[in-house]
Amino acid sequence: MARISTLGIIGKFAIALIAVVVMQGILSFKFKVFGYFDLPLICSVYYGFTWGNPVASIVIGSSLGLMQDSLSGATLGANGLTKTLIGFFAATAVSKFAVETTITRVLALFLFSVGDAVLVTILSLMVGSARSPSYSGALGGWLLSATFNTLLGVALFGYHDRWKHATT
Amino acid sequence: MSRHVATSKKSVWIALAVALVIQTGLISVQARRHIDTSFVRVWILDTLAPIEKLVDRSLQSVSFVWNRYFALIGVYDENQRLKHEVDLLRIQIEKEKEDVHEAQRLRAFLSLQDSSIGKTVVARVIGRDPARTQTVTIDKGAAHGVKPDSAVITPAGIVGRVIHSSHFFSIVQLIVDSQSAVGVVLETTRRQGIVRGTGGRDLDLDYIDDDNDLKEGDIFLTSGLDRIYPKGLPVGVIKSIGPRRGLLKTVQIRPSADLGRLEEVICIIERPQTVDVADPQGVPNP
Repeated sequence: MARISTLGIIGKFAIALIAVVVMQGILSFKFKVFGYFDLPLICSVYYGFTWGNPVASIVIGSSLGLMQDSLSGATLGANGLTKTLIGFFAATAVSKFAVETTITRVLALFLFSVGDAVLVTILSLMVGSARSPSYSGALGGWLLSATFNTLLGVALFGYHDRWKHATT
Repeated sequence: MSRHVATSKKSVWIALAVALVIQTGLISVQARRHIDTSFVRVWILDTLAPIEKLVDRSLQSVSFVWNRYFALIGVYDENQRLKHEVDLLRIQIEKEKEDVHEAQRLRAFLSLQDSSIGKTVVARVIGRDPARTQTVTIDKGAAHGVKPDSAVITPAGIVGRVIHSSHFFSIVQLIVDSQSAVGVVLETTRRQGIVRGTGGRDLDLDYIDDDNDLKEGDIFLTSGLDRIYPKGLPVGVIKSIGPRRGLLKTVQIRPSADLGRLEEVICIIERPQTVDVADPQGVPNP
């Protein structure tokens, strides 16, 4: 019974992660503005902060990043690597910072977003799968994307807090 | 609910190391291009793409149903509203066309007013005498300087003369009236004559000193001899030349101005001392 229960939880997680990546792909295609959002990143931070389990967050981040790379055509492993690190740092931050406060979440989401964008760009440049971007254009894009991710992430955390208060 | 699962530090570092090794391994083999890693992408794509396609099709179906059925609720009302709007716009367009035509006519009038035909006033034809169809009523009278024997013209040609004027209105006798006569000059040969109204649509040539060189299409201009119309204004065009009747040939002249469709006219309320509008040969006034 315990094995069935564990498999069920893993299955649900797999479906949720796949749904996130698929949603990201479809919404970015349908609505141009969604290109600025990074749902796998928000998801990695969300699971890291709410669960506080570094191993699970590493697995989730790694899986989301790899799927994102596969669907986006980016360097395979670039998003995987960054999301792995984000999941790890988010989960370990739980024991060091008050991640329940909005200001911490805003700062974390913003910094993780910028860090993710910078790292993915550097990795892609190293592999040679991306052309050198103009610094002003790239920085503007990163900041815009970080702002979008922060807003959506904070909204998601707000929803999570309401749900948590309602069930306790 | 947060579930801070207790995990040993060792297992965390192992998990992180494994994940990073896998990811960096993938990146590095892509950089070196010695090992083909496309199969990883193919596997993940093969797994995710059908789901993506399914979701996309589901969204498309929902969008289709929404656009074809639910979004059509209220379309009938909108259609009626738009039809009404189209009707209003059509009326507006017609009105604006009318305004444009009026502006063109008035522009022509103004250009005529600029010429040296004396002091003028623009009047609007407001009626036509039902009993005597060769007269029209205009909306300018003595208060505007219009008095009996004032010439009434259009840019196309002369119209007639004022026979009665009240304070604000005037009656204009058209040149086609049987009681009307106009002193004319043939544009080409400068031969002078008199044309009379017939009571119908055309004019008759009443007198000319030599009718041998007349031909259809010749244009008659005002001679100015009648002291009503300024010299050189178009009167009409020879429509037909018939057999001789007495001393003269029967010559029918079609008025230059369209007297059947008059809307605005110019009244010459004060003639200049010397009127010489279009006399290329410089024939002196009598």
